[in-house]
Amino acid sequence: MARPMGPVRLKKTSPLTLVLGGALCIFILYFLIGSSAPDFSASRKASAASHPLSPPTSPFRKSTSTSGKVKPPPVTRYNLNNVTITHNPLDNRENILILTPMARFYQAYWDNLLKLTYSHELITLGFILPKNKEGNTATTELQKQIAKTQQYGPEKDRFKSIIILRQDFDPPLPSQDEGERHKMQNQKIRRAAMAKARNSLLFTTLGPSTSWVLWLDADIIETPPTLIQDLAFHDKPLIAPNCFQRYYNTERKVMDERAYDFNNWQDSPTAQELASKMGYDDILLEGYADMATYRALMAYMYEEGADIHHEVPLDGVGGTALLVKADVHRDGAMFPPFAFYHLIETEGFAKMAKRLGWQAAGLPNYKVYHYNE
Amino acid sequence: MLPFTSSGSKVVPRHHVSGYSNGYPRAGNTFEISPHRFQPRGTTPSHRRRRRLLIRLGGIVAVCALFGLFVWPRGSIFSLFSFGLFSSGDDFQLETVRYYDLSNVQGTARGWEREERILLCVPLRDAESHLPMFFSHLRNFTYPHHLIDLAFLVSDSKDRTLQVLVDNLENIQADEDDVQHYGEISIIEKDFGQKVNQDVESRHGFAAQASRRKLMAQARNWLLSAALRPYHSWVYWRDVDVETAPFTILEDLMRHNKDVIVPNVWRPLPDWLGGEQPYDLNSWQESDTALALAETLDEDAVIVEGYAEYATWRPHLAYLRDPYGDPDMEMEIDGVGGVSILAKAGVFRSGVHFPAFSFEKHAETEGFGKMARRMQYSVVGLPHYTIWHLYEPSVDDIKHMEQMEQERLAHEQEEKEKAEKAKKLKESFGDATSQWEKDKTQMQDIAMKEKNEALTKSKEKSEKPDRPAEALAKAQREEVAEKAEKGGGVVDKVEKVVGKGEKVAEKKEKAHEAGGK
Repeated sequence: MARPMGPVRLKKTSPLTLVLGGALCIFILYFLIGSSAPDFSASRKASAASHPLSPPTSPFRKSTSTSGKVKPPPVTRYNLNNVTITHNPLDNRENILILTPMARFYQAYWDNLLKLTYSHELITLGFILPKNKEGNTATTELQKQIAKTQQYGPEKDRFKSIIILRQDFDPPLPSQDEGERHKMQNQKIRRAAMAKARNSLLFTTLGPSTSWVLWLDADIIETPPTLIQDLAFHDKPLIAPNCFQRYYNTERKVMDERAYDFNNWQDSPTAQELASKMGYDDILLEGYADMATYRALMAYMYEEGADIHHEVPLDGVGGTALLVKADVHRDGAMFPPFAFYHLIETEGFAKMAKRLGWQAAGLPNYKVYHYNE
Repeated sequence: MLPFTSSGSKVVPRHHVSGYSNGYPRAGNTFEISPHRFQPRGTTPSHRRRRRLLIRLGGIVAVCALFGLFVWPRGSIFSLFSFGLFSSGDDFQLETVRYYDLSNVQGTARGWEREERILLCVPLRDAESHLPMFFSHLRNFTYPHHLIDLAFLVSDSKDRTLQVLVDNLENIQADEDDVQHYGEISIIEKDFGQKVNQDVESRHGFAAQASRRKLMAQARNWLLSAALRPYHSWVYWRDVDVETAPFTILEDLMRHNKDVIVPNVWRPLPDWLGGEQPYDLNSWQESDTALALAETLDEDAVIVEGYAEYATWRPHLAYLRDPYGDPDMEMEIDGVGGVSILAKAGVFRSGVHFPAFSFEKHAETEGFGKMARRMQYSVVGLPHYTIWHLYEPSVDDIKHMEQMEQERLAHEQEEKEKAEKAKKLKESFGDATSQWEKDKTQMQDIAMKEKNEALTKSKEKSEKPDRPAEALAKAQREEVAEKAEKGGGVVDKVEKVVGKGEKVAEKKEKAHEAGGK
């Protein structure tokens, strides 16, 4: 104890050990850097835009040069004749844009998104969030998950590009609680605001290379992992799966499921008649007892054990999950924030698409699940 | 750990209490300076040895790093050691996440001060001939160019529109003057398989209007949806065939701070058609007649303006122009024309587009105006702020012009004939008089000569230069003699020479000169 140890210990250390140690340090540093900075494959780098002023559906090269003049953006040509939309999107490497208006962030939603088997290299995500306290919280949580996936996650999990938008108007209702949200008198204002949010998201992100647009609500927490391939396989301009909700059945004391989205429907003469008597700005709503439309709802067309690829034509669609050919939106079909044939938002969208010559379809036996509050 | 400071500690201090760091025990007297005895340095002190080792290690690492640099020239190790300061230009990382706050791109009256970006949309089809004119406008815009993103849709073109467009745009971006450079430039190619012809006649025929307008609307929507970005505050639609427009048009329209705003569009005409004419009849205010008419039409019908088939009695922006009126005067309108529209990007973001179906009995830009109104946006026109559309003569005009040209030619021919006739008449008349004169002078000459000869021969020489007629006669005689020598019809020549007054005058001068000598 009385003898100092330092110099003695050093004497025993051979330089070779130190060299090895140094090399090891370098290797560790190398892998640290390698995992913290996204190192993308060549194919991803090739599809990247060279300037930040570019379609947001592609990533862009971060400029690393700190000196010298900034070059003006290049003249870029996009041939939309070559953007294919086929029933086999994966083999044709078709780009998908998944659009989600988000008020609350659910971890299950994100986990489900990561489970999608469609090549993530071809998926662009777009989110729009309101600018209030709730929206700020959701944004923070969303950004945390995005950073986790895009920076530290394995490359196959990383999405092509992600766009986060903040709404430029306030949500009309202070609360997004389910009870408040579904009150009939609030519906028109709420859905008009929702339609505007959807349109803002759609028209700023669509870009020139997208083939399909998948509308997926932030509270869809469970879908088959092959959702995109399955829906695209039908090759329909608009196609909606059936949206259900899992809940605890207090009567039967078991987990059960029930139909959730009532905006997927086939029109009825009663509804037509109701509409014809309505004022110019009035809208028809589905799922309210005091406005019986007698429309055929896809939610109730589900048959246990039947073919999941069974198709039905639809006149109104819901936005919980909906796959749309990009051309439908490019032709101008949007979510009317006003009474369009007495329909609003997604239902009005189906009508507008029809006016442009695109017919919606639904898959009553193909289920996706909504979050239960 | 600081053993000295913790007074109650049982830890034995390692160095300073028990001895010096060189291993000698601490002497009883702490303040003794002199060493106890000389200690030769048999081995290198440990710290020196350590330093040398570190230097060697550093050298190895440096060599390794250099080696690594050659192996992975753009490796990320290098950027770590250099703190990213010297990374080369080709090294890039991908940015996959973009964040935009749409409340920052609302669009204000003085957008250029707040660096608000404009998307300039131009639909093109077989427009090669108009492009040079368009690019001259582009170079002249006073709105900061780097804040303008350009988007073109080239559809179903059979001429060199695309090539000319690309060349011109690349020239602009490569311009030495940084001020000329524009922002993002996208050229969208998409063929819709238009069956409708683009020539003026078929373009404006009534029957073709509805389907033509729907196709135009489709093209506009495709262009917008592919080019609109979350960072745009304004969208400006401009046709290529605008001939004259103020360079400050973007600022001028922006200053009004309206959701949708259009100027008045006229076109110059040839004088025989009145000099000028209202061109864009799609900017109008709704009328009760038109609303009543709309009620009677079926779902897919499209009301188009400017045709006798649909008398709408709407007040048109174009007809309200006063060349001396206040250019800032605004007028609320319901339908808009597409030649030059400035709209806030928020209008398009919220879903307003160019209906490619019959929306409230209207399509394309008129439907756009209607839809914007439906969503409570302000839509105004400036009746006294005028831009000028290119005059392309219609088939009727061309026929008329051909007729006029023929008339003009016929008239010219007539004039020419008349002039010739008059000339001939004059010639023959002039011939006679000059002949008469000549004969007269000759006669006089002869008479005078005879007289002079008879009277005085001495005066003759001095008078000669003063009498051109005599000199002329002499010159003529000489010439005739010359010609006769050369051979030929002497008599004819003489007649011709005499007949042409001008030549005679020339000859007179020559003769005069000769005489002077």
